[in-house]
Amino acid sequence: MIDVQHLRKQYGDLVAVNDISFTAEPGQILGLLGPNGAGKTTTIGCISGLLKPTSGRVSAMGHDVVADGPAARRHLGIVPQELALYEDLSAAANLEYWGSAYGMSGDTLRRRVGEVLELIGLADRGRDRTSKFSGGMKRRLNFGCGIVHSPRVVLLDEPTAGVDPQSRVRLLELVRQQAHAGATVIYTTHYMEEAQTLCDQIAIVDHGKLLASGTLDELRGLVGEKDLLRLTGRFEPAAASSALASLEHLEVLTVTADTLTIAATGASRKLPAIFSALAAAGAEIQETKLSVPSLESLFITLTGRELRE
Amino acid sequence: MRFVLVTTVKDVRRRLADPAALVLWIGIPLVLSALLNFIAGTNSAAPRARLLIVDQDNTVLSRLIPTAAGQGNSPIDTQVVTLDQGRRLIDAGDATALLILPKGFQAAVFGTGAANLRLLTNPSQRILPGIVQQGSEVLVDAAFYVQRLFGGPIRRIADQTGKGPPDAADVAVIAVEINRQITALQGSLLPPVISVATKAADPAAAPTPNFGQVFLPGMLFMSFLFIASGMSGDIWDEKQHGTLRRLMATPQSPGSLLLGKLLAGAAVSAVVALVGLLAAVMQFDLAWSRVPLALVWCAFGSSAIMALLMVMQTSAGSQRGGELLASVLTFPLMMLGGSFFPFESMPAWMVGIGQWTPNGLAVARLKDLMYGSVSPAALGVAALGIGIPAAAAFALTWRRLWSFARA
Repeated sequence: MIDVQHLRKQYGDLVAVNDISFTAEPGQILGLLGPNGAGKTTTIGCISGLLKPTSGRVSAMGHDVVADGPAARRHLGIVPQELALYEDLSAAANLEYWGSAYGMSGDTLRRRVGEVLELIGLADRGRDRTSKFSGGMKRRLNFGCGIVHSPRVVLLDEPTAGVDPQSRVRLLELVRQQAHAGATVIYTTHYMEEAQTLCDQIAIVDHGKLLASGTLDELRGLVGEKDLLRLTGRFEPAAASSALASLEHLEVLTVTADTLTIAATGASRKLPAIFSALAAAGAEIQETKLSVPSLESLFITLTGRELRE
Repeated sequence: MRFVLVTTVKDVRRRLADPAALVLWIGIPLVLSALLNFIAGTNSAAPRARLLIVDQDNTVLSRLIPTAAGQGNSPIDTQVVTLDQGRRLIDAGDATALLILPKGFQAAVFGTGAANLRLLTNPSQRILPGIVQQGSEVLVDAAFYVQRLFGGPIRRIADQTGKGPPDAADVAVIAVEINRQITALQGSLLPPVISVATKAADPAAAPTPNFGQVFLPGMLFMSFLFIASGMSGDIWDEKQHGTLRRLMATPQSPGSLLLGKLLAGAAVSAVVALVGLLAAVMQFDLAWSRVPLALVWCAFGSSAIMALLMVMQTSAGSQRGGELLASVLTFPLMMLGGSFFPFESMPAWMVGIGQWTPNGLAVARLKDLMYGSVSPAALGVAALGIGIPAAAAFALTWRRLWSFARA
């Protein structure tokens, strides 16, 4: 398991990770969801021991990653965001090398390399030089190198970034298999749908802070049954807020000169009333977007902006 | 320790996957040595100057000059030519110098006239024309002093020229005058202040060094410097390809990775050294028994150099900067350390510096191990001289590898 308590990582004045805590159990996939620059990779760096936390504590399988680094790292398998392969060696040679780095050798290593090649769909290309592989094949090999030693904790840092749809499906299936085999999986992504379909637990992070965490249902519950209505155009914030205050079961989440975000029960039915109230307040609406409760709407509720922004 | 060897094997396999780099590392020193050998000349015989003499005086004295110039161990071959022939040959670059003895040369030597000797030298040659010029100046100086000391008797002899043999009284006067001058000079000239002892070297005791002896050790270390430069830069490739960060997230110590890389460098260098040493056995009279220790020394020296270059690579802020820093160190080391030019042909001050560079120290001892003799103590001192800076560099690289990987 992985236990992160009050993790903080600071570079000078920049706080990359600010007081993040979570726990991930064996057999569980925990998704760290957030936009680029949210602090996901820094968190993974601290868990893997590559970065030294400014404060807080991280332990893997009961071993503190700072005080007892080698013992903690023995249980970790890393699948970095960027490919980390020796392209001038074959797929099998890459797997053998990374297996050796975790103390594997002899028949055990050879057998496991064969299994992993089979698992990642490269059994017939094992002796080929990696530089000849397609991007998707390299991604799968990158994944294979992270799990060749059968780690009890797998850290995946946006492993599907820039991957074609077919390879993505294959990779996600491989991640599920690791969890089914009993590994604790930490999966960072900025793809909402990946987090929704893959993760048992989701932690939403932004600007280095943990905004919310829980199962998908728990997180949806945070938004409630309310729909999310996002309007763009020209608004007078004070006038718009007071105009909408008279409407029942409606909450103004954020309002600026050009955007207005509202959480409302049965928002579609209330659209005429909302539009007329805003028109009376001098607003000019150019675009309307209605979302049913989802991680997307939760993220907007928590941050006032969309995940891709 | 197992992971050190696994890393070594991995890096050697990666090198073998890039045979072009290997060929360059071995080929560049070979080409450079061949060029140097070509420039220096493959013939061990000393070069000789070709002096053309135009005799416009055609006197007894002027006819003696060509014979005198080529006498004994003189490095000058002389040839009497006409002025036209001489001009043509010197313009074509086929001679070292053209000496024109003008009409009145003998009279000038006898002190009864004046003459200007003209010497035209070949500008495409550097050393031999200087020898001829110095020889000519000595000739003029000698004529001057002979004239000052024995001007009287010489003029008497000159006056007799064409008048038949001198009578007994003239001979007696000349003899007395010469004797008087010599007696007057005796106090200054005798006994000689400087005595020259000539000792002929025993050819068996001091054999002429062959190509292998002079060039091969330096050539080998030039190859090792190229190999070390290339393979130390691999730490940047590991960083750029993300494998270094991935390695740092494994339970392995960074020291294992570094040691594996050094051993890989040593292994590649040892293969190159083995080829060079076998060539020396077959072509340059190297004894078989000397090969093993020389091979170990080569592997040790090359890995020490690689440790030094690796600290330069990890000090740089970029891969390009790392390559530049490594080159800044590599090329002066080659120049000073007996790789571009053997110590035997370097100025003494340069040898004084070069022999204390890590590669220079290694080259000097390699020569001893291959063809000379070296005591275990001297070898140990050299090993410490090379090994201590290398160990310090290794420790420094180890220490900064975490920050290097994260940056």
